[in-house]
Amino acid sequence: MANSKKYWAALDELEGTEVFQKLQKKEFQEQIPVDEFLADERHGATTTGRRDFLKFMGFSLAAATLTACETPVIKSIPYINKPAEVTPGVANHYASTYYDGLDYISIMVKTREGRPIFVMGNSKTGLGKANARVIGSVVSLYDQARLDGPRQKEKSISWEALDSKMLSAIAETGRKVILTNTILSPSTQKAIDAMGFEQVQYDPISYMALRETHSTYFGVNAIPSYDFSKAEVIVSISADFLSSWLTSTNIECDYSAMKSPERGTQSKHFQFETTMSQTGTNADVRTMIKPSDEGNVVAGILAAINGSSIKNLDNVTTKRVQQAAKSLQKSKGQSIVLAGSNDIATQTIVASINQALGNYGETINLEKPSRSFQGNDTNVADLIADMNAGKLSLLVTYGCNPSYDLPNAAAFNEGIKKVKTSVCMNGIADETAIRSTYIAPDHHYLESWNDLSLTSGRIDLVQPTIEPLFSTRAAQESFLIWSGFEITDWYTFLRMQYNVNYSEDALYSDSTWNGAVHDGTFAIAEQLETPNYAAFIDISNALAEVSNRKGGAMQLATYVKGAIGVGQHAANPFLQETPDPVSKVTWDNYVMMSRVDMDAMGLNTYIAQENPASVVKVTSGKHTVTLPAFMQPGQKPGTVSIALGYGRGSEGEKIGNAAYQTGEKGQHIMLDSGKPMPIGANAFPFTSQDNYDITIEPTGTEYPLASTQLHSTYMGRESVVKETNLSAYLAESKKKKGTASWNKAPALNVHEDLNRDGVIDSRDKKPVAEFDLWNSHAVEEVGHRWGMTIDLTTCTGCSSCVTACHIENNVSVVGKDEVLRHRDMHWMRIDRYYASDFSLEKGEEEGVGVIESYSRMEDPSENPQTVHMPMMCQHCNHAPCETVCPVAATTHSNEGLNQMTYNRCIGTRYCANNCPYKVRRFNWFNYKGHSKFENVNPAHDSLARLVLNPDVTVRARGVMEKCSLCVQRIQSAKLDAKKKQVKLTDDLISCACSDACAAGAIKFGDLNDKDSAVYKQSHNNRSYHALDEIGVKPNIFYLTKVRNVDSNEA
Amino acid sequence: MNSRLIRVQHLAIAICTVLLFQVTGIGAQSIWEVGDPISGQTLFNANCASCHKITNEVLVGPGLSGLQDRWGSTDEMLVRWIQNPQEAHESGDKYIKGLVDRYVGTYGWMTAQAVSKEEIGDIMAYVSNPPEVVGATADASADCPTIDEDKSEDSESGNMIWFLILFVLFITIALGASGVSRSLTDVLAEKNGEEMLPDSSYMQRLGGWVWSNLVPVSLVGVFFVLYLVVAGYSALMDIGLYADYSPDQPIEFIHSIHVCENEIDCKYCHHSAYESKHAGIPSTNVCMNCHKAIKKGKISGTAEIEKIYAAIGFDSNTGTYIDGDGEIGNVLPQDSYDGEPIKWNKVHNLPDHVFFSHQQHVTVGGLQCQNCHGDVSTYSVGRIAPVEEINELVDAYPGLIQLSKPTLTMGWCLECHNKAEVDLTSNGYYEEIHERLNNSERGNEELRRYLEDDKITVRELGGWECSKCHY
Repeated sequence: MANSKKYWAALDELEGTEVFQKLQKKEFQEQIPVDEFLADERHGATTTGRRDFLKFMGFSLAAATLTACETPVIKSIPYINKPAEVTPGVANHYASTYYDGLDYISIMVKTREGRPIFVMGNSKTGLGKANARVIGSVVSLYDQARLDGPRQKEKSISWEALDSKMLSAIAETGRKVILTNTILSPSTQKAIDAMGFEQVQYDPISYMALRETHSTYFGVNAIPSYDFSKAEVIVSISADFLSSWLTSTNIECDYSAMKSPERGTQSKHFQFETTMSQTGTNADVRTMIKPSDEGNVVAGILAAINGSSIKNLDNVTTKRVQQAAKSLQKSKGQSIVLAGSNDIATQTIVASINQALGNYGETINLEKPSRSFQGNDTNVADLIADMNAGKLSLLVTYGCNPSYDLPNAAAFNEGIKKVKTSVCMNGIADETAIRSTYIAPDHHYLESWNDLSLTSGRIDLVQPTIEPLFSTRAAQESFLIWSGFEITDWYTFLRMQYNVNYSEDALYSDSTWNGAVHDGTFAIAEQLETPNYAAFIDISNALAEVSNRKGGAMQLATYVKGAIGVGQHAANPFLQETPDPVSKVTWDNYVMMSRVDMDAMGLNTYIAQENPASVVKVTSGKHTVTLPAFMQPGQKPGTVSIALGYGRGSEGEKIGNAAYQTGEKGQHIMLDSGKPMPIGANAFPFTSQDNYDITIEPTGTEYPLASTQLHSTYMGRESVVKETNLSAYLAESKKKKGTASWNKAPALNVHEDLNRDGVIDSRDKKPVAEFDLWNSHAVEEVGHRWGMTIDLTTCTGCSSCVTACHIENNVSVVGKDEVLRHRDMHWMRIDRYYASDFSLEKGEEEGVGVIESYSRMEDPSENPQTVHMPMMCQHCNHAPCETVCPVAATTHSNEGLNQMTYNRCIGTRYCANNCPYKVRRFNWFNYKGHSKFENVNPAHDSLARLVLNPDVTVRARGVMEKCSLCVQRIQSAKLDAKKKQVKLTDDLISCACSDACAAGAIKFGDLNDKDSAVYKQSHNNRSYHALDEIGVKPNIFYLTKVRNVDSNEA
Repeated sequence: MNSRLIRVQHLAIAICTVLLFQVTGIGAQSIWEVGDPISGQTLFNANCASCHKITNEVLVGPGLSGLQDRWGSTDEMLVRWIQNPQEAHESGDKYIKGLVDRYVGTYGWMTAQAVSKEEIGDIMAYVSNPPEVVGATADASADCPTIDEDKSEDSESGNMIWFLILFVLFITIALGASGVSRSLTDVLAEKNGEEMLPDSSYMQRLGGWVWSNLVPVSLVGVFFVLYLVVAGYSALMDIGLYADYSPDQPIEFIHSIHVCENEIDCKYCHHSAYESKHAGIPSTNVCMNCHKAIKKGKISGTAEIEKIYAAIGFDSNTGTYIDGDGEIGNVLPQDSYDGEPIKWNKVHNLPDHVFFSHQQHVTVGGLQCQNCHGDVSTYSVGRIAPVEEINELVDAYPGLIQLSKPTLTMGWCLECHNKAEVDLTSNGYYEEIHERLNNSERGNEELRRYLEDDKITVRELGGWECSKCHY
């Protein structure tokens, strides 16, 4: 290890609890209960004798043999009229755009035989970095919960009947409102306008304060565009900009590029936050603050920049604020200060800081602002008041779920009862839909046409990739029909927005349009905004306001999880099973608390299969939630954090099987009310208020949490993560690989006097490369040698690779109960290690004595540094798993792949026991057929099964599986290269994970090709092998993590 | 004016005129006379043969015999018509209009052909004057195997049943005879006043008989047990072997008529073999390219072809397609027609855990279809060719790789991967691989090892590795 830091995945590991000792010794946590089975007295009472048993067995064997003789008859059904562009067995790709009110991403949809099976980013458009939510969204197309046609309450009706009822409702007098999320489609907006209703927009996560600030001072009522590719210093106050804030994945891409130490420098990232967010784990300097101090921190930064004194902050925070301000002043015009808060005072001060630093027009720009998040909280409040006063005759809800995600959803739900006619356009009978008079289901986004415009000057297109599966109708078409517009066909209407002469005869002849559909985007001429960046920002009121904020002893912050978002993906089993990037908890919502608080309240901090979490009741204002408590290192003591997006379907709405909790047998757990139990609790009511004074009390009950953080831990091995800081890196950045102090090639002691000093001692060391049990395996220089490089510096831990791998490789979803038993099937996991950031220097800085400092170093769990390390099969050239397989089911290819042959595997699990990286997964069940998984595994129903990748075997029970480096993609890329008769270069090949990596941290290619990115990366002096000292010669390389911290900061 | 100059001018004009005349002369002749019938034949087979015959017979389009005499428009128009029928029609040519009125309504537009004027000349030379050799192959249908309507009875299972009946009869007679013999012995004994035979069961007596004839019985017994073991073993080894498997199909499709008599190339119907992992069963609209015109089969009459029409919605009387409302008169197949697709029974079944790609073998590897599928031109419905049968084709198809393991088994695949050679020089992809072998010390060593038998096989490049086919 390059430094003396201690890395740990969970508190249990740090403190070596009994549970952890047990876990690290065993690869398989659940024993087959043989003794228990044999000891069962009921077996003695059975009537089947030994002879009978043998007879049954003989008969079964004979029957099985006889059935095997029968040739199975498989039907092969060709098309009647084959579409010209579909060739069975060949994938088609369509450019489209994903927008759901939170994410806006250019995507490429892969279809096979006309059905979408994979969504990836379309990197050519500049907005095409996909995250886990978007990659996972393909599954929602095949959700059984989707409505098959319009409804009147629970009754199916025809579209004609609905239209006539709507037309008569429209004819009535009264206030008519359409409530939407932020509409980014110019054509959809026109269709909405055609109805002549009043429109109210809102966003589940409101950015109103940020927008209003820029409207008040700079005259542009929009959210600015942030350019992280120029930001040398980033100061973020509670903004989770790598996971959920604005266009997070594209930010992640630019952010990671600036982190690369090969530039000769690195961007510096300060994060002040309450919750340990994914962004916070990547920060160079992270400071824990209470939510009530957010304003004081920004005021402090402004004060430090202006040279005045910092008020109202404790010593540590003051020191960090000064550091941040110092860095910011060094990078004027090349920095970004941002705050996640929806508070006008805070945002005003932030704008003032950015103005003082000259960032406007450089890294922050309002000429081409972002059009997203135009929601107006005031209008929504007004609407709900009118609804409750019975003033509304008609309410249309489109693209949103206000009954769930409005902070005052309860008032909305009361109000909707008093609206004469309400229509919901959602495709699933969700919270809002079941409360509406009519449901007019819209197409799924993979079935729709649309145009979207995030910033001026460009339009991104949404195109259908499959015929609508159900009798749904484009919402825009409904709007056009209800408005009585002469053109009711949505596609025609859309085309006419760009070509007034469009007619159906010219369906395919418009080459401009065809080009745009092919690319997924096109440019249009639009005027730029003219912001007045020099406007005077009056911050006196704001400063007074923030300094007057007083927080209580316990405060609460809400946050958005990387996979679930704001709840739109609650029924998506792939995303529910993707471990949270920070806590590694799957399938659940919880209250994140600091260890100090939990110890004080006597709550359980070690969470494992046998140790369920303690349940607490959190009350803030009028709202109370009851959730398990999870000990989160890095959580500010005196605060708790709760994720939004959970507690969907609390009235038992049919929003999808995976949205509800399942028990040990896979059945839905039922509440006393007879409704299925939702996962977690809804925290949206907290978002409209400041939660500066909350109460929290233990309920005395317990609840199991399925966290993967202690799954697959290494046993007493330390050379997994290598880390250094920027100055140490730069001092030795020109050194040869294996010689720099932060990346030394490992050497082992030998019992011979190697250095000829006359004694055999610990100085007699031989490089690991010279020890070998095996003959050299021929993969270098000849043919291909597939390999991967993973840069720990740029990896942000976002987990989109995990989801992409999960879907691409038909990896089974196993559900919470199985994850609890350490039987998650992820081929790829992201190991998240915490490390102490406490040092003697820091003790001095914080003014604690030397003795106290040492004791604090022993308790590094308070505000740790974090390393994210993607881990999958390392494809060792000297693989320990291969030598122990009794049936040669796992073998090595001459292209460097560690091959897993399912049809040979007999399930001895020796290989998994012998794998030093613990990356092999065993199929304990027939996941696609066993009733335990019917509510979680998409392979169970005939519709969701369509999402499976036909090029990858669906594994049977009793076989081992693991990362294949997407061998199906390798084979198909090789075939493509052979057909094109060209050399196989990087641009022809990718793995699902490297494809999905917005940060560009994962690279895949041919290590024998000197032009490939992986060749260059693997020869970088930062590259090393995990567990290098055991000499298994992997084909996966990691690049040492470099943090931009000074020694007095870390 | 200088007279010499005038003479030169005259000469020049004369030369120009001659040249001009020659050029136009060539132009006037070229379509029908100057072409090369041999290359014309190739072009005709590649581009025209699926719709036109060189006889008078109408296939999809009219037969081309006597085209030169009946073509009622200019040669230039013929070229335009072939290269772009719609555009030629728009020119307003009367003869073309007549053609369109007569054929397009029924058969649809002729596809525009990517052939140059010279190539059209070659085709016309072939059409108007087919070489003798070609005449001989045109008659090849005489050599094509005739497929009986009734499939031959499975004689083996028939024999087995007779054998069983005879065996039961024999046992009955033997038991009966032994009973009679015993009664007679008893009667004789009684008559003679001797002691009657002890009243023993058949089994006891059989035991006694065996005991007294121990050596021959045990010999027979040993052979019998050995036979059972051998037969059982070979029966078990046959599990999963499907050579000669040829399931009944919903349509009695006869490959020999299509492939042998009509000389349709495999890839006309199974085109995706070149671009996909599946060879694919042709979609019904591909059948209709020909069967729009061919409404009656040689053997089954209209019975089988009508099944195609039922699936796609085609009215054979009017020669038009039916739409979703039951209306006829459509030129193209109607998606709205709710036809039942033809559910073929898959013949070449690989287990689900095997990945096999046709394009890898056909497009990249350059294998002939016959190497795995045998001589399909002799089949009725699809069938798995036994390996012995494929091996016999080596004379007709040079380069065919002869194998010994049963068709469609893993051994068969591996055997071929061990024999098939890879050409490292003619493909950019393999050139790179070759370069890596040449340019490194370890590569040279490997290459020497590969070349010990003077060839580089698929196996040596990794063709025996699990993940090539199993993932």
